[in-house]
Amino acid sequence: MTARAEFLDRIRREVARTPGLFGAATAPRPAQPAAAAETVRRELAERWPQALDRFRLEFERVAGVFHRVADLGAVPDILVRIARERGAGRFVTWDPGVLGFDAAPVLTREGLTVVAARAGQEDEASRQRHRADAAAAQIGVTGADLVLAETGTLVLLSGSGRPRSTSLLPDVHVAVFGRDRLVETLEQVGIVLESLHVDPPRSMSGAMINFITGPSRTADIELTLTRGVHGPKEVHAIFVEAP
Amino acid sequence: MITCLGDVFFPEVGTAMVRLLRRLGVEVGFPEAQTCCGMPLFNSGYHHDAAQVAARTVKLFEGFPHVVVPSGSCAWMVKTEYPGLLRGDPGLRAAAESLARRTHELSQFIVDVLGVTTIDSPFVGTVTYHDSCHLLRGLGESRAPRTLLHSVRGVELVELPGADQCCGFGGSFSVRLPEVSTAILDRKLGNVEATGARCLVACDAGCLMQMGGGLTRRGSRVKAVHLAQVLAGEVDA
Amino acid sequence: MSDAALRVPFPERAGAALKDAFLQEALTIATTKFIDLRKESFAGFPQGEALRDRARAIKEATLQHLDTHLERLADNVERVGGTVHWATSADEAREIVLRLCRDRGVRMAVKSKSMATEEIDLNEALEHAGVTPVETDLGEYIIQLAHEKPSHIIAPAIHKTKGQVAELFSRELHGEFPADPEILTAVARRALREKFLQADMGITGANFAVADTGTIVLVTNEGNGRMVTSLPRIHVALMGIEKVIPSMTDLMVFLAILARSATGQKLSSYTTLVRGPRRPGELEGPEELHLVLLDNGRSRQIASTLREALYCLRCGACLNVCPVYRQIGGHAYGHTYPGPIGILLTAMLKGDRSVRDLAHASSLCGACKDVCPVRIDIPRMLIELREHLDREKIAPWTERAVFRLFRRLLLSPAAFRLSVRAGRWLQRPFVHAGRLRGLPLLFGSWTRTRDLPAVASRTFREQWKDLR
Repeated sequence: MTARAEFLDRIRREVARTPGLFGAATAPRPAQPAAAAETVRRELAERWPQALDRFRLEFERVAGVFHRVADLGAVPDILVRIARERGAGRFVTWDPGVLGFDAAPVLTREGLTVVAARAGQEDEASRQRHRADAAAAQIGVTGADLVLAETGTLVLLSGSGRPRSTSLLPDVHVAVFGRDRLVETLEQVGIVLESLHVDPPRSMSGAMINFITGPSRTADIELTLTRGVHGPKEVHAIFVEAP
Repeated sequence: MITCLGDVFFPEVGTAMVRLLRRLGVEVGFPEAQTCCGMPLFNSGYHHDAAQVAARTVKLFEGFPHVVVPSGSCAWMVKTEYPGLLRGDPGLRAAAESLARRTHELSQFIVDVLGVTTIDSPFVGTVTYHDSCHLLRGLGESRAPRTLLHSVRGVELVELPGADQCCGFGGSFSVRLPEVSTAILDRKLGNVEATGARCLVACDAGCLMQMGGGLTRRGSRVKAVHLAQVLAGEVDA
Repeated sequence: MSDAALRVPFPERAGAALKDAFLQEALTIATTKFIDLRKESFAGFPQGEALRDRARAIKEATLQHLDTHLERLADNVERVGGTVHWATSADEAREIVLRLCRDRGVRMAVKSKSMATEEIDLNEALEHAGVTPVETDLGEYIIQLAHEKPSHIIAPAIHKTKGQVAELFSRELHGEFPADPEILTAVARRALREKFLQADMGITGANFAVADTGTIVLVTNEGNGRMVTSLPRIHVALMGIEKVIPSMTDLMVFLAILARSATGQKLSSYTTLVRGPRRPGELEGPEELHLVLLDNGRSRQIASTLREALYCLRCGACLNVCPVYRQIGGHAYGHTYPGPIGILLTAMLKGDRSVRDLAHASSLCGACKDVCPVRIDIPRMLIELREHLDREKIAPWTERAVFRLFRRLLLSPAAFRLSVRAGRWLQRPFVHAGRLRGLPLLFGSWTRTRDLPAVASRTFREQWKDLR
């Protein structure tokens, strides 16, 4: 097999042979990513109502279902309603500590089953058990780390207590978020991502970030759009007003 | 610049253009030693040969303040490709750049250089307009021909669906891959006939050869004509 | 495409495609929809033009220091626990993956769509080694069942009507399924869900890799890209070296225009950023992540006339607008990558001789350049390719002789006039009402389907003296 040095040398030689087609620059990165991200947060703190309106518009455009509640306490009732409307009974959720609320009491009282991921329980047995639970669940409940208005996108970081499959295996994905997650543009998402990667151990406990824009879809057969190929058939977003 | 196809197969386009320009107050000359801009050689990759033709053409047209071409592809060739082809010789390159600046496709000459947007022509009929690829994408022109067509009182201009789609000529492509070229043509002519127009107008002899040849072969009522013929009122019934 | 199929000359392959009524119907439906979707998307996106310019600049700037960026990428992938492999050729890339399968006891691998794996014929190699590759992208799943190759860069089964897919599923999956895309999709969902959960390895390509952070980026719609990178214990990503980009900020520029160009979406359903294997705190994710960097002829283009082809984002927009692709579909091209960019990529990967015919499978209309998100000047490079074919004497000597003769005519007005007079005389048996029909030889390929105007009885030059 080719060694790294030999592989890169060949490229270096070819690069040296030509100055390039035209003078070109890459995109300018923020000099202080953390400060830039903080600026984005501050700006959005003022503009969150407009951002929310725009998010709702774009989210519904990609077939997302939007809900709005006054506070976290009202979220479980929405979850119950979603389950009832679909004749579904099994939930899988992120760790309540990560979500900021525990849906289990209300859901179990209604006769629905809930399995929650637990941060700190990542042994092999837990892994197997969670895989089986997630595969059997019909509704997955997560938070959202960023909510992008201009495209109706939910950005989810994976990690401890926030498994990847919660928003992937069940037929229905529900994301719960507050005003502090809203950003308006893809460019702002870039700034936040730059700042996240400067201090990885602290801000990201997982290896994956997913941008989710509507349900799973394909148009591979005659360009006819169908939903729910491998991922969820439905995506719901619940906005919690209380800051 | 009359173009090789224009000289040999469509002299009526050239004569219509000359009469039209004279009516617009332009004094028209014609360097008789001209043959072709060399684009067929260039497109097929024979660049050394194309450069020789370019060098000759550049010298032939020295001294004329404007060079008008009834063809988007030939105008494109001269304006975009001649300087690069002749980059090996500084004198020729400079001459090519000068010629590039002085060369205009017909509709662009009328609208942008003469500043004329209304043509008084006796032509009457519904027409539909095809955007030739090199005029549309090479020279970025889609408005001037339509402006001029609209301005003729007797013209009813119907927009052609897929006007910006290739007719399938592509020079030697039309004979290297004749079946594909014909299939592309059939799609185009289907759109043309659906407009109900009496005349199909284009600004390129290659396109007219391809589309006209297809129309007559299928016995169509639609006549393929050059913009110059419509504006000069020299379209046979 | 198999070598046997390639022995059929390209014009014949194209001719067969033109006669295939199902294919023609499927192509018209699909390409028309794609064109409309893209047009609509960019119409409502005024920043799009500037973003395309920026995207092109980022690609060019990255190429100018490609070695440095790849080095940083590798360091950062390794820093987060991934392993980087360096594959100069398709052979090496296959060997790397096969060795991994052997060493890790892999029996079944689920794949999300990757043209790079098609390029190196990975599936065939896996099967020979006793590893079952399972395509999970719906389009790839369809063609895997049909034992065919993809016919479009992003919609592999676009050449099939829904009736054909229903028939295929019914036959291969032992059921009776109607020609209803919703039902057929549900069938695939069910069939493949188990595979995701049981597979030992997930294989993907990479749309981008961010050098700054060691992140592999997958742009998908179905969810299979997320499945194969989170459920199996090993993830292998095969990536062409030209896919590296410097930063997250750069990534956003591409994300803003890629899905719009490909399908008219603002963003695809899923954009997945993979940064190494699973972290200690994660319940899910692969134990191992392997990034296989693939050269396979790419580095040779850095200093060549095909350099711009290295900018390609594999969006497929050029295919959808190409008058040739729209008529003949992807299989007729005969190589992994079809359409306008496919001709350039084939020359890049297999040498100029491999595109002796394909270099002319274009009317040079420029529609491809119009829609390319990174503004690759495909027509210009096709002309350059044709120039190579002449210079390297790959073009047939008969053709080169004809063009040399043509040049002579153009350089001598006397010879030009003489050939006009000769033409006037020679055409006499073929003239009907001012038009030519039934011409022999090369001209016959025109007159078989179209009339040709007769050589004018008086050329413009001959009329000039009357005009002045």
